[in-house]
Amino acid sequence: MADDAMKTDVQLPVATDLKKPRPKKAPELPILERRNWLIHLHYIRKDYETCKAVIKEQLHETQGMCEYAVYVQALIMRLEGKIQQSLELFQSCAILNPKSSDNLKQVARSLFLLGKHKAAIEVYNEAARLNQKDWEISHNLGVCYIYTKDFKSAEEQLNLALQLNKHDLTYMMLGKIHLLQGDTETAIDVYKSAVEFSPENTELLTTLGLLYMQVSDVYRLSGEHLAISCLKRANYLSAILAAGSMMQTHGDYDVAMNKYRVAAYSVPESPPLWNNIGMCFFGKKKYVAAISCLKRANYLSPFDWKILYNLGLVHLTMQQYASAFHFLSAAINLRPRMSELYMLLAVALTNLDDADNARRSYEQALQLDESKLLVNLNFAVFLYNQGDKKAALLQFQEMERKVNTQVDNNSNTEFDPEPEADVSSAPSPPTVDPGEPEDEDEVEETAELKEKKSKPKAAAE
Amino acid sequence: MSSGSQELKDTSVASSKWLDAHYDPVANLYTFSSCIALSDLHGDGENKLVVGDLGTGVCNMKLKVYRGTGLLSESTLLDLPTGLVSFLMDLHEPRTPAIAVASGPFIYVYKNLRPYFKFTLPSLEVNPLEQDVWSQAKEDMIDPMTLKEMLEGLRDKAEIPLSVRSLRFLMLEPQEMENFVLLHKEQPIRRQTVITCIGTLKKNMADEDAVSCLVIGTENGDVYILDPEAFTILYKMSLPSTPTLMDVTGQFDVEFRITVACRNGNIYILRRDSPKPKYCIELSSHPVALVRMGKNVVVGCTHETLHGYTQKGKKLWTAYLPAPVTTMALMDLPTRGFQAVLVGLANCEVHMYRDKNLVSSIKTPDVVTSICFGRYGREDGTLIMTTKGGGLIVKILKRTAVFDDRDSAPGPPIAQSIRLNVPKKTKLYVDQTLRERENAVAMHRAFQMDLSRLRLAAARAYVKALESSLTPMSASLTEPLKMNAVVQGLGPSFKLTLNIQNTAACRPVMNLAISFLYDENLYSMRTAFFKIPLLVPGLNYPIDTFVECLSDKGISDIIKVFVLREGKSAPLLTAHINMPVSEGLALN
Repeated sequence: MADDAMKTDVQLPVATDLKKPRPKKAPELPILERRNWLIHLHYIRKDYETCKAVIKEQLHETQGMCEYAVYVQALIMRLEGKIQQSLELFQSCAILNPKSSDNLKQVARSLFLLGKHKAAIEVYNEAARLNQKDWEISHNLGVCYIYTKDFKSAEEQLNLALQLNKHDLTYMMLGKIHLLQGDTETAIDVYKSAVEFSPENTELLTTLGLLYMQVSDVYRLSGEHLAISCLKRANYLSAILAAGSMMQTHGDYDVAMNKYRVAAYSVPESPPLWNNIGMCFFGKKKYVAAISCLKRANYLSPFDWKILYNLGLVHLTMQQYASAFHFLSAAINLRPRMSELYMLLAVALTNLDDADNARRSYEQALQLDESKLLVNLNFAVFLYNQGDKKAALLQFQEMERKVNTQVDNNSNTEFDPEPEADVSSAPSPPTVDPGEPEDEDEVEETAELKEKKSKPKAAAE
Repeated sequence: MSSGSQELKDTSVASSKWLDAHYDPVANLYTFSSCIALSDLHGDGENKLVVGDLGTGVCNMKLKVYRGTGLLSESTLLDLPTGLVSFLMDLHEPRTPAIAVASGPFIYVYKNLRPYFKFTLPSLEVNPLEQDVWSQAKEDMIDPMTLKEMLEGLRDKAEIPLSVRSLRFLMLEPQEMENFVLLHKEQPIRRQTVITCIGTLKKNMADEDAVSCLVIGTENGDVYILDPEAFTILYKMSLPSTPTLMDVTGQFDVEFRITVACRNGNIYILRRDSPKPKYCIELSSHPVALVRMGKNVVVGCTHETLHGYTQKGKKLWTAYLPAPVTTMALMDLPTRGFQAVLVGLANCEVHMYRDKNLVSSIKTPDVVTSICFGRYGREDGTLIMTTKGGGLIVKILKRTAVFDDRDSAPGPPIAQSIRLNVPKKTKLYVDQTLRERENAVAMHRAFQMDLSRLRLAAARAYVKALESSLTPMSASLTEPLKMNAVVQGLGPSFKLTLNIQNTAACRPVMNLAISFLYDENLYSMRTAFFKIPLLVPGLNYPIDTFVECLSDKGISDIIKVFVLREGKSAPLLTAHINMPVSEGLALN
């Protein structure tokens, strides 16, 4: 056989026996690192069971002197959640080879995972002395500094990491620091350069898009435009939701629906998604479908007050006041400090012939938030219908005063956005009785409902 | 091969792009993509499959050669094979390729499946101080203990690591040292490293059958290029880390490019005339497999991603995979001008990517650990895979198979046209809605009334429970107690365990007693009243007592437990224990 010839001229590395005295020739000693490649191969393929078996054998053969085997064993332990044990193993690696910055890096990483940020920083600094130009050390130092709330050092280290090598993760962290410090504009700049560096990272695109959305009050149109363009490129649930809700705000229900269909295909059980779909149907005046979707959202996330709020709103529109009352009171229980909820509850109560509680609810709403005009308006209508014209007049004047101050303060304030367009498509207004004397109130009421329903949606991201 | 493919034709996969030529689930192969090669070993125009099998991972390593569906030959390997390549080493006729198997510090070269040559890696530089120490030991100038101390001192400080011999010596027990020194002192000290990856590089011609050099990467981060005939080192380059995967292109005498993935998670690109890496790609996770497609490098990473890079290290694209990558291979069909990357995934699938687009996928019966695509037998488009369980799969690409890049097609995503699954509402729902619209006020009032009644009833029950101390937690502030009871046994005797706990922060509770109330016709208890010891806060006191069931009629009753305070008739706590039916017969 072919292999027989081979055997004669090669020493068997495995079969060496140290005990057997051989006068002439000493046995070949197996090399300590001979199975490192196999350990590495199994480790990166995530075949941890086989990997552990190979490591065990290798450590048995070398009596624990094989640095790489110990190193990988520690890595696997850390993945299994045994952080403390892995830390000890990494420390023993660092003893076997004190000159390796990798070992120190891993010691520091384990310390970091154990929440010992200060100790981790010290070890990282030590590792940085061994290896000056390692972005990983700088990046992780930066992250440690974030946890110790030393934002200045963190920023410094992360910028250093970016200088050494550009990574999406570093950009994310740097952006996060700026956001934590409330510096949205710098954060946007950071994310912008990050997106330039890696134009396909959906997470970066989404974050940038959402930031643009946040600042869209300042930039107004340009901001929203940019946000949409960013979000369109990112095929990502939160991005789709954000883009969809923006389109919904502009009344683009069909386009928003298209977006949601894509999202519903990949994530069929997302409560905010079904909430938004429900409100889309509401916008298209398909109330039964709206209720179905909202109820599914509520089933998926029963403690989300936004969904309950929207459910209450839709039921008010459907004149199902008893149901609306239940959804609204559930929402109030979850979110007791929101004036709009009390106002809607008051509307429901008015229709349920419970004038005393309706009045109390209006008073509560006013007490919680002074600035809401519509509470005053609805309250005035309610009081007028109750026959309390004096109090009604008082509320109406109060509202007028607020309108005037708002108009004075900010000339382009959208107190009553596109009322004409809304009148035609208005859902039947809940509070206004047939004998309502003022036609204008009806318009206000509808406009408010429209605006309100979009607000929780946008917040759902 | 072709006969095998006809035998195993499966009608159910007629629509698939592949013919199932052969599947042996118990081929007992433990190998990786680096240890598989297709080669025309005998120069007869029929390609054989050569596999370096790792055996059990400890022993039984084999070099196996398959022809068609059967094993042609099998020869023993001495150590774990790291890599296996087929290459033409000379211009002699007939042009039969040689097989090089890298294992440990050696390369075994086989020609015509016979051992032909063994190449040993050059030894590394030995620490001169270590050399000194051992030569002193050789002349018996120092005893083993001193030797040990000196070597330990060297290990901690030295720039050059110690040799295997010294490291082994340091592991020994004191009584074994003497023998070890005697045995080894005559030998020169050598420091060796092992081969971690191997590849081939055409010498001076780009032809299919040109002579190739061997390219090897070693554990200490060196890359050597070997002369194909003399096996001398033609060129040496060094890397900052240990190479794990390698891809070589070009010609040695003209220009070449070696792409090496390293254990530190980076990819280095080496070129002719530069002993150091020219470019470096830093990945965010470890590379699992590396394939060159045209001028680009495709890397599969542990974070379930597939990246495309230019040969200068610029990132082109990223694709996200549904499962971790196990292995990758290039699928090259020059006759059709088709190239794709085959990616083996841990979810028992093999995906085919062209750039970032998933072109096709194959389901496999097991997780694939190695893939090889090429000419097998006389069939050009053969896909060979081995599985984690040791199986061997051979598939042949149908000549009618067409791959189209469906992902790259512009337009809205398919999901956009899928109808939303909006829950339907029944007629009953609509009727109820109408009813609510008409009678909202009445419904609301009825509900509010019932709600108030419910609340009242609940409050009454609560007050009653508090008054009669029926709750499992005592309401009194001086004796905050908690109790639960467990009944064990099948009957007629039961063990009743009462767990009593003092929930006060620091005050112990004393002078407590327990009494039981039960139907004396049904149950008997040895002691129906006893005192309980001082209760230290926080501790759980299990108190056992035994109950005998007297009836054999299969009936059960409630036993009431009262925790009493001395001198007070109202109980602190009351528990009602629903006794289980006695399943054993009463003895009397």
